[in-house]
Formats: sequence, structure tokens, C-alpha cells
Amino acid sequence: MSSKLHPSNNITHARRTVNQLRIEASIERIKVSKASADLMNYCTENARNDPLLTGIPASDNPFKEKKPCTIL
Amino acid sequence: MACQGLQKGETLESLKRESETLKKKLEEERNKLNDVELHQVAEKVEVLSALSIKTRRVLKGHGNKVLCMDWCKDKRRMVSSSQDGKVIVWDAFTLNKEHGVPLPCTWVLACAYAPLSGLDNKCSVIPLSLDKNENLAAKKKSVAMHTNYVSGCSFTNSDMQLLTSSGDGTCALWDVESGQLLQSFHGHTADVLSLDLAPSETGNTFVSGGCDMKANVWDMRSGQNIQSFESHESDINCVKYYPSGDAFASASDDATCRFYDLRADREVAVYQKDSIIFGASTCDFSLSGRLLFAGYNDYTINVWDVLKGTRATILFGHENRVSRVRVSPDGTALGSASWDSTLRVSWSFSTGSNYIFRFIKLLFWVNSRLVLEFTVAF
Repeated sequence: MSSKLHPSNNITHARRTVNQLRIEASIERIKVSKASADLMNYCTENARNDPLLTGIPASDNPFKEKKPCTIL
Repeated sequence: MACQGLQKGETLESLKRESETLKKKLEEERNKLNDVELHQVAEKVEVLSALSIKTRRVLKGHGNKVLCMDWCKDKRRMVSSSQDGKVIVWDAFTLNKEHGVPLPCTWVLACAYAPLSGLDNKCSVIPLSLDKNENLAAKKKSVAMHTNYVSGCSFTNSDMQLLTSSGDGTCALWDVESGQLLQSFHGHTADVLSLDLAPSETGNTFVSGGCDMKANVWDMRSGQNIQSFESHESDINCVKYYPSGDAFASASDDATCRFYDLRADREVAVYQKDSIIFGASTCDFSLSGRLLFAGYNDYTINVWDVLKGTRATILFGHENRVSRVRVSPDGTALGSASWDSTLRVSWSFSTGSNYIFRFIKLLFWVNSRLVLEFTVAF
């Protein structure tokens, strides 16, 4: 594995940076309003299936110790 | 010598200038699409009702700081690694310890079900078996070799490959069977502290975060760094994908957690409070992505409302730094590991059924006492 620190060839490093930035600058982006709406929709669609959000009924708890049940 | 590799008309200066121009362009392109803030859009969403998430189990058994924990896919077992040099597999249901594997390295930083990595530059895979007589440590197999410590590791979706992050500033993809290096990922300029694989539906990418304060998104096949985010003001300790795969969160020594949307290519939320001054070391999302659990060096776990940007609740209990938080695969519980040498499991009861259950319990108790007294009298 090569070292992360100062490469010996500054030109190579500079060109690598330029190429990297070209790639990053050219990607397609969407508006934050659209992205936010999608994130919100995902949350609301899945909210009812999120046990940490809705809570689980005490009797269904999988980690609960099973106490013996005596019927009177 | 300096002219070697230069294209016609290129100089080091011209490359540097182009680099600055591109950075500005990147900034402008991102800002053009920043038409609204996430929390503004989220005003339409209902405020979270009071969460009743509480710590319900404490797992004791490690002799020293617990550095890492993870859940098994069977949703019931947990694995944890500690500075005491041991890896323990717990049954979260019975609280029993199923396996205890001693390791030669005492600083085991990461364990996933089941690769282990640590400060000895290696990542080992230990097959776990139900036969308690088997010497598991002997079956340990070294898979990854970095030139510095291995900070994080994850099996890829197929389990045949292993992705590692390292103090040497790189990430790497290995074939588990042969130990061969399949792809390496260069771009970070300091130790990489964390990585997370995109949820399987969204393709072959992963995100990494490190001491260079950057979070990078990578294409696993080509090794290409496709997106980069630099808004934290200190080391990024943990990165985690949002369940849909369209975003990710990061936890940092700058005492904030941040949320980045990949399609908008920018940071869309910062989770912070003036009262939170200690670094966040770990984070994980609840199943719906609405909650972000983050463990801090002030021993607390803050639970953030991802959409609104506010804190939903806070979990106390650990007596030292929280090193890892992980939501169980079915989303029912939150596991947390700490330097206080314990693990804790927390979950939420739905308040309605809680009261009904208590009421029924009371009825039975009253009934049984009456019956008892009646019998005794006779």
C-alpha cells in the first residue's frame, strides 16, 4: 500500500487533483428541495415499521425474560 | 526531470490554477441547487412523539474498554471486541456469552460479524462454529494487510470479499478465500477511520471518513473516488449510510454529526448543540432513517431527528466514552459499546400497551393475593 503523504512527483499529484475535481464537478445533481422531499417520503413510508420509533408491545419484546404464567 | 509527464503548455502553476477554478466551480454548482434547507421542507412532517427508548440490558464480561460491537444477521447475537484482547459473542436474548475468543492483539478496533481488525495491521476472519470445543483462535485466517493499523472492516454483500479502511490512508478490497488484494482506494490524505457499504439495492459504492476531515464516496469496481465532502472541522470517526442509500451521516471530533445527500451532492443538515462539546465517535440510523443515534465522548448517546435537525432524546447510562452504537438488523433495539467495559441494549415500548400490560399485571397480583390469603385461612 502506498503512503498517503507527500508524493515525490508534484506534477503527478497536481494532475491527479485536477482530474479528480473534473470528475466531481461534472456529476449530475438534483435540487435540495427534491432530495429533501425524497428523504422525507422514505422516512414517512417506513415509519410504522420502525420499532425504535413506534415502540414494541411489552408482550412481544424478543429480549424479555419469559416469566412463568400462572392461570388462576 | 520536472518536465516529465507534462502535457503541452502545462506547468505546475497552470495545474494549480485549474485546480482552484474547478474547486470554485464545484462550489457554485452545488450552491445553485441549494434552494431550501432540509429542516424547512421537514416542517410538514409531524413532530416525533416522546420516545420511550431506554436501556433495558447491560452486558458485563469484558475486562477492559469495549471498542467495537456488531449484530449478527440472526438479530439475536452480538459480537464485541475489547482492549482486554477478547472477542465475545453474546446472546442478547439470554445475556449468555456463547464464545470467547482470545486474540494476540490487544487493541481490536473493529469487528463485524465476523471479520476482525486491529492495530496489528491485519484483518482476521474467524469462522464461528457451534462446537464449543473447537479452538476458534487456531482457525483464524489473516486476510488483509495494510502498512498501518486497520481501523474498520466490512464483508461485502456476497461475504466473499472484505473491505478495509486503514491508518495508512487507504481503503482496500480483498478476496477472503485467497487473501488477494482486488482493489485499492487512494484519495484520503490521512488515516481513514471508518467505512460503510451502500445498502445492497443501490449498487457497488461505499463511503469512508478520516482524519483529513473528508468523507469520500467510492466506486468499488473501478476504485474511483466519485464524490467528496469536506465540511467537518475535525476527524471523522464514523460514517453510515441512510437506509435508502441516497444519503449518509458522519460523526466527528468536532462534536457534530452531519448529514449529506448524495444526489444533491452536499451537506443538508448539521446535528449540534452548544451544550455538546465532546466529540462524537459513532452513529447509526434507525430502520426508517428518521432517527440518528450518535455516541459521544461525554458518555451519552444523543438521538437526533434526522429531518428536523433537533435532538429527540438522550440516553444516559454508560460510565465512559461510547465507542460504538449499532441498531439491530430488524430495527428493534440499539446496541452500544463503551470504554466502561459494558455493552448496553436499549429499546422502546409503545406507551399504550405498556400501561395496559401494567394494569393486567396489577389485576393478577391483586387476584393472586386474595386467593392466597383465602387458602391460608383455610
